[in-house]
Amino acid sequence: MSAVTDTPGPDADHPVLGLDDVVHQRVRLGILTIAHEARRVEFGYLRTQLDLTAGNLSKHLSVLEAAGLIDVEKGYEGRRARTWITLTPAGTTALAEEINRLKLLIARVETTG
Amino acid sequence: MTTDAVPADGDPRRLLADVRALAHRVRVDQRMTWAALLVLGVMTLLAIPFDWFGMRVDCGPDGGCTFARRGMLYYWPPAMVLAYGTITVCYLRAARARGLGARVLPYAITGAVTTLVFPAAWLAVHLYFQSHPYPDGPLPYWYFVLDRLVMPWGMVGVALLVLAWLERNRALALFTVGYLVLVLLVLPMNFGFGPPHFGIRAGMAVPQLIAGIVLLLGAFGFARAGRRR
Repeated sequence: MSAVTDTPGPDADHPVLGLDDVVHQRVRLGILTIAHEARRVEFGYLRTQLDLTAGNLSKHLSVLEAAGLIDVEKGYEGRRARTWITLTPAGTTALAEEINRLKLLIARVETTG
Repeated sequence: MTTDAVPADGDPRRLLADVRALAHRVRVDQRMTWAALLVLGVMTLLAIPFDWFGMRVDCGPDGGCTFARRGMLYYWPPAMVLAYGTITVCYLRAARARGLGARVLPYAITGAVTTLVFPAAWLAVHLYFQSHPYPDGPLPYWYFVLDRLVMPWGMVGVALLVLAWLERNRALALFTVGYLVLVLLVLPMNFGFGPPHFGIRAGMAVPQLIAGIVLLLGAFGFARAGRRR
């Protein structure tokens, strides 16, 4: 067992440590990005843009909904069932933080590399 | 984008590039630039008969004439409300049909605000010159540019700049800058082309016709570019 010091190591504030596993995933990051840009996005649009199967997209949406990052609203337009996804304030914050951390990571790699 | 889960140590550059590409794609899918330009172009052309027949022209025995463009004042405020309302509905419907929300509200608000600028500026100038004499010498050039800016054609350009910013649409921004140069610096939108080639009414109609055609050509160009995409 090594001695514990109060002084943080050089990587203690490394941006990778703050990455949220829920958001730091390509498909979920894509969902959050589209929902942010679109204000409100329909299930079918996400499926097409992200090139996912309905089942796969549903799984990712469930993860994001359980984390409180998106709201899912189901309804009908005429006879057609439609599912709309909106970003929650927590989702907006999480997306902004993720993008910020990605930029920090890139900057860090560029300065140390 | 793929269905593969990406580990937490995925390439940040690639993730960020994907984010940017997706955001850009959504913005492009939300655009209905051609519809906005079409509505504004049609409104501009429809204004010509209102201006023509609503204009009061008084000519003195010395050949000098004064004119008051009352038709413009009655036509443009309701026309702009109708135009921005139509554009907003078009954007909302198109975005909804594509499975997206729309980001057109700030544009509609800008449109509504600019709708008030023209009658307010007209009223301010009217009230000012009721109690102040007209200057003897020629008015400075900036006055004409400012006068053209607060007129409906200038305000249409200002609202289009807001739309270009909302859509992050460089092509629309460039088009709008060109349009604004035309209506603020090139075409005599406020006092018309003068004699001997044009009478007062025709001299006022021609710049409006050019501005309307430019907007319609823009609508055609953006529609074509959108279809090609």
